[in-house]
Amino acid sequence: MEELSYHILDLARNSIEAGAANLEINVIEDPAKNLLKFEVKDDGRGIGENALNKITDPFYTTKAAKKIGLGIPLLSEAVQACGGSLKIEPLSPNGTQVTASFPYDHMDRAPLGDLPSTISVLLAAGHCFNLIYRHRHVRKNFVFNTKEIRAQLGKVPLTTPAVLNWLQEYLDSSIRNLKRRRNN
Amino acid sequence: MRTLEDLNKLRDKLQAEISIRERKQEITVNVSMGTCGIAAGARETMKTLIEEISSKNIKDIALTQTGCLGACQQEPLVQIQKGGEKVTYINVDQEKARQIVNRHLLEGKVIEQWTKPEE
Repeated sequence: MEELSYHILDLARNSIEAGAANLEINVIEDPAKNLLKFEVKDDGRGIGENALNKITDPFYTTKAAKKIGLGIPLLSEAVQACGGSLKIEPLSPNGTQVTASFPYDHMDRAPLGDLPSTISVLLAAGHCFNLIYRHRHVRKNFVFNTKEIRAQLGKVPLTTPAVLNWLQEYLDSSIRNLKRRRNN
Repeated sequence: MRTLEDLNKLRDKLQAEISIRERKQEITVNVSMGTCGIAAGARETMKTLIEEISSKNIKDIALTQTGCLGACQQEPLVQIQKGGEKVTYINVDQEKARQIVNRHLLEGKVIEQWTKPEE
C-alpha cells in the first residue's frame, strides 16, 4: 500500500469488524522532532494474548473464510522499511490500540496520503460507531467528532452521499488549513 | 474553506427533501473493503460512488461496506442489491464506478460485461 492513509483505513475497518462502538484515529506530524505517528484505538472485542504474538504472521488470521491476513504484516513492513516502530496493545476492559511511528524525513517512509478520503469512506460504513479523528501538525490541532456532526445533522443520516461528499471537502480544507504556514 | 456552520444549509436542504418524498424501494450499494480491496483501490471506488451519487442527486441509495468476500483477485468488488436481485461488479476502478452509477443506478441497465460470471 503506497500511502499510510490506506493502512489507517485498513486498521479502522478491522476495528469496525471487531464490533467497536467508539473509534479514535490520532495523527501527529512533527517534523522538528522527526516524527510522524498515527494511532488507531477502538473498544472492539480485542485481541487475545495468544493472537497478539502471531499477528504479524501473514498466515495467521481469525477469519473463518480466509487463509491469510495481510493487513498488519503490510503495515509492519511499511514501518520496518524506514526504521519506525509498531505497537499493538490490548486496552482495558476491551479494545485494541495500534500505534505506528515513523521517522518524518526518511526517504523510504510512505507518504501520509489522502486522509479526508479515508475518513469519509470509513463513515460510509454506517451508524454503528462514533469516530473521533485528531490531527496535529506541529502545534496546530484539528479535531473531528461524529457525535457533534450527528447532533448538527438531526434527522439527516451521516451516511447520506451528499453529506459524505460535504464532509470530504470539509476535512480536506481543514487539514490543508492545519498545514498552512501562519502569516506573521 | 468549508466550516461546520455551512453544514446547516445542506442539512436543511436534505431535511426538506426527506419530508416531501415518499419512501421508495431502497437500493443498496456495497463495496468490499478488506485489506485486499483497499490495496486494489476500493477507497477510490467508494469515493467516486459517493461523489457521483451525490452530484447526480440520486435518492434512496444506501451505501454499505463489508470485509473481504474471498475473491481478492477481482477486487474492488461492488454489489448492487435491489429487492431480491443482486449484481456483483468486479475490478471496479473509478471510471467503471462512474459508469455503474450512470447506467445501472440512473438508467436501470446492468452492465453485463463487468459483472461476475456465475460459477
